[in-house]
Amino acid sequence: MKPTFIAALVLIAGAIGLFIWSGQDMDTYSNFSQATDKMGETVKVVGQLAKDKEMHYDPHQDPNYFTFYVNDQSGEQRKVIYYAAKPQDFELSEGIVMTGKMKGDEFVATDLLMKCPSKYKDEEIFVRDEQKETTTG
Amino acid sequence: MDSIQYIGEHLLPGKLGHFAIILGFVSALFAAFSYFQANRKEEVNNSWRTFGRIGFLVHGLAVFTVISTIFYVMVQHYYEYHYVWSHVNEELPFQFIFSAFWEGQEGSFLLWMFWHVVLGFILMFTAKKWESPVLGTLALVEAFLGAMILGVYIGFGDDPFRLGSNPLLLLRDVMDAPIFNNADYLSLIEGNGLNPLLQNYWMTIHPPTLFLGFASTVVPFCYAVAGLLKKDPTGWLKPVFPWALFSAAVLGTGILMGGAWAYEALSFGGYWAWDPVENMSLVPWLVLVAGLHTNLIAKSTGHSVKATYLFYALSFILILYSTFMTRSGVLGDTSVHAFTEMGLESQLILFVLFFTLFAAVPFIRNFKSIPGPKEEEKVSSKEFWMFLGSLILFFSAIMITASTSLPVWNKIMTYFDPLFEGRTIKDPVAHYNKYQLWIGVFIGLMSGFAQYLRWKEMNWQKRAGRIMIRIGIAAAVTMVICYLISLWIELYSWQYVVLLFAGVFTVVCNLDYLISFAKANLKTAASVISHVGFGVMIVGILASGLNQYHISSNPFAQQGLIDPDRLDKNIMLFKGLPMFMSGYKVTYLDDHFEGNNRIYDIRFEELNEDGLVIDSFSVHPTALYDNKVTKVAAYNPDTRHRLHKDIFTHIASIPLREADAEAARAEEDSLKFKSYPLLPEQGQIVVDTFFGGDSSIVREYNFRFVKWNFEPTSEDYKAEPGDITLGATIEIDNPRKDTTYTVEPMLLLRGSLLYTFPIQVQPIAMKVRLGEEAMNRLVPDEESLDYTELKLKQGDSAPLSGYDLEFVRFNTEPNHPEYKSKEGDIAVGATFLVKEEGTVVDTLEPMYLIRENRPYNLKDQSGSTGIHLRFTALDPGTETIEIYAAKAEIDETIPLEIAKSPRTDFLILESIVFPGINLVWAGSIAMLFGLLLASYNRFRG
Repeated sequence: MKPTFIAALVLIAGAIGLFIWSGQDMDTYSNFSQATDKMGETVKVVGQLAKDKEMHYDPHQDPNYFTFYVNDQSGEQRKVIYYAAKPQDFELSEGIVMTGKMKGDEFVATDLLMKCPSKYKDEEIFVRDEQKETTTG
Repeated sequence: MDSIQYIGEHLLPGKLGHFAIILGFVSALFAAFSYFQANRKEEVNNSWRTFGRIGFLVHGLAVFTVISTIFYVMVQHYYEYHYVWSHVNEELPFQFIFSAFWEGQEGSFLLWMFWHVVLGFILMFTAKKWESPVLGTLALVEAFLGAMILGVYIGFGDDPFRLGSNPLLLLRDVMDAPIFNNADYLSLIEGNGLNPLLQNYWMTIHPPTLFLGFASTVVPFCYAVAGLLKKDPTGWLKPVFPWALFSAAVLGTGILMGGAWAYEALSFGGYWAWDPVENMSLVPWLVLVAGLHTNLIAKSTGHSVKATYLFYALSFILILYSTFMTRSGVLGDTSVHAFTEMGLESQLILFVLFFTLFAAVPFIRNFKSIPGPKEEEKVSSKEFWMFLGSLILFFSAIMITASTSLPVWNKIMTYFDPLFEGRTIKDPVAHYNKYQLWIGVFIGLMSGFAQYLRWKEMNWQKRAGRIMIRIGIAAAVTMVICYLISLWIELYSWQYVVLLFAGVFTVVCNLDYLISFAKANLKTAASVISHVGFGVMIVGILASGLNQYHISSNPFAQQGLIDPDRLDKNIMLFKGLPMFMSGYKVTYLDDHFEGNNRIYDIRFEELNEDGLVIDSFSVHPTALYDNKVTKVAAYNPDTRHRLHKDIFTHIASIPLREADAEAARAEEDSLKFKSYPLLPEQGQIVVDTFFGGDSSIVREYNFRFVKWNFEPTSEDYKAEPGDITLGATIEIDNPRKDTTYTVEPMLLLRGSLLYTFPIQVQPIAMKVRLGEEAMNRLVPDEESLDYTELKLKQGDSAPLSGYDLEFVRFNTEPNHPEYKSKEGDIAVGATFLVKEEGTVVDTLEPMYLIRENRPYNLKDQSGSTGIHLRFTALDPGTETIEIYAAKAEIDETIPLEIAKSPRTDFLILESIVFPGINLVWAGSIAMLFGLLLASYNRFRG
């Protein structure tokens, strides 16, 4: 048999093997109750920031401690702890994808991905402010 | 609303631009058709080719016209155009007009088309017999790209299909707002401007480079297809090679710039994060590099022609797929990049599918006519290992594409099963690293020893022994170097040791090969430089990736005292207060504004084990505010480069009151000031449990009054004529009684408005201000004053409540703060000295004025003594003046008001050390330079 052919076969076999192996790296998005079932295991939760609940970040007490509340896609609300500084414009986020695990009743996030409305593309037309009007014309 | 005649609109550029867009689209189609017709003819030079050339030239001119028109309306700030309004505003510096142009999707499509046109013009003159099929294909690609900005509606009814998004639409056609009822709306609106994050030079250089990289991948694609269209399935392999090398060099540079941008100017804290956007630009490059190697094999041995075709075709198709991925919004949940959707998803899918079929159909139909190898390659031959290397690169590309396409897969599945639960990668970085590590190992090893092998090895038996010994020596040298490197960096697990070996091995082999075999000839040098660069890059990635550490982390974390879930990346720094962290003494010294950029000055001193300073430097991370400087838009890092490591610093946060003007006002309003009347010489003890402190520790602050200040200064106060100001100097002892803070709150009376200037005393987190009633000292209620009438001549004195008032002279050019001279005024001032026991304590100059036959008097007062003087009449005959004098009753208490107010002179810092990161840059630059050098050599040859 051609050596190239053998090499290709080995690679294809390797590829299939790796794909099966990589299955363990994949997971569905969870909600909080599923995350509770997988207590201690790292999961991803998609949710919305609960804007009526308090966000807490007091750098004087601890610059690496930020908490907030999230409603997951089934509507369940949990407190989330993120051991880092509060991300800029966090309160503007519409959806959040959190990586982390449940610890008791709380979700400890290690990574936050925020979906912000595009800040500079507001669908409102800015009217020139008065001052500028007088200086420019 | 059609009936409104709008004022000041410039509609001509829009019409011209849209005409050029349509012309560009039509001429691209015409050029493609003509060139394909020309290709069917036997002879190269025919009239269809001339038509094709004319079509492509017209197309090029049309593209330049569209771009010029958009630039024109942007430079002119014609906000009636939606694109201008979205990307430009008055504040935008001219140098960022280019960035604003390609910030939008339409602009970036045009940038892409622009490069295609430039490449097309070069090919028109250089491609010779390949011109017709190559440019025909290129023109067809241009037609598809042109359709993205066509902005034409197809079909009828309420919801016609929109083909492309026209960048020259009018704002009032895109948006529905009441302001358009005003015919003069243009004078009322302003633009949105460019996102401050993008206002840097990276945004000026990165997109053109990346898009030239994208655009240049079309050339190998066109040549590959041209080979089949021209029924010459191998002839294209030579002319395409320098183009493919060029494309790999430029696309690689574009990707590298993206990494450098992320690392240098954004707060990602790294150069590569396996983000979908990064992956999808890397994948075409990997496939292109695989194609380069099979192309070389094909040229040298005749093997791998089909593979070369597939790799080159796929590289361009992957560029299109990447365009679809990044512009359709499908990556929403997995990427940190923000995407704006244009509603062109179906058009983008069509784009990808069309060119996939365009390459696949002739390939399948002509499969038999593409020559395959006449004999098998031997395991000992160069082509065997090089082909295997290409397969591995391709394999890496498949793995990355498959994982990155998970959101696409999820989307497709939901069409079949609406309840399908989307899957995602739990930890992308670990996931990708796990596989790509082995790709790196294979590539490193193969690109090392394959250099010693020969094409179509016929003489292996004789050479085998020598080569094996050489490889053995190289492996031994590599091990020694690896050992030395392991003294510098930690490798943690055996997989990384293997990767390090592979990286160093290719460096050693390639250098050895260059010196002992190739005798430094230029052609081989290019390949050696690239492969050495690859090896060096691997070492750099291991050093900077595995060994990066947060120096801003909590030192207790390493001792296991703290919850392991804690990330502890950040540390709090107070202004002027040094902090020791991980071998560095770090001090936040100061900050200042330059435009809307707030620049922080942070001093780092690196200490050795004996606590001696071995290195010191300043870093200047910034907080970038929005264009109106009301709110922080982003924090940009700063990095100090040392030869063997970088120190990356980034502000994670600053106090809310500093970061957001609105929040600052809200916080200011919510402060609870409590009054603490102070008596001079007596002082006041303030106990902070009053503030509702959270601890049971009672802290006492001693407040002392020092003096009144009648010409106070404050950072926020700009003096204007007519201002009446009053300040009080106060000393505060901190609870330990070891530090005294001196503050000077002040009041300002301007016109009828009273302003107070509170002082934040940072170290004790208090805000101190002067109560409004303090102003009574200067401006008492006029009715409460008991005036005495005095008649005085120059030189006379009169007593008043323990003071002597001496009338020194007349001033015929009086300078009273409330007085503005007018023609015909008769104005005179009377200068008085206020004396207390013979000593002059103040000077006053009340003023008398006759304007239009009416007498006025302008009073003057002494803040320190409370004396008020009015100059009410003047007898020119006797030179006697009439003065009304009064001494106000002064309340001696100082109405101090104090509120608890958290400190605002701190920042939260993140600081990371990246050891050996220069090896990443040096290695990748060498790799790309090698490609460029090879391209140059081949173009010349």
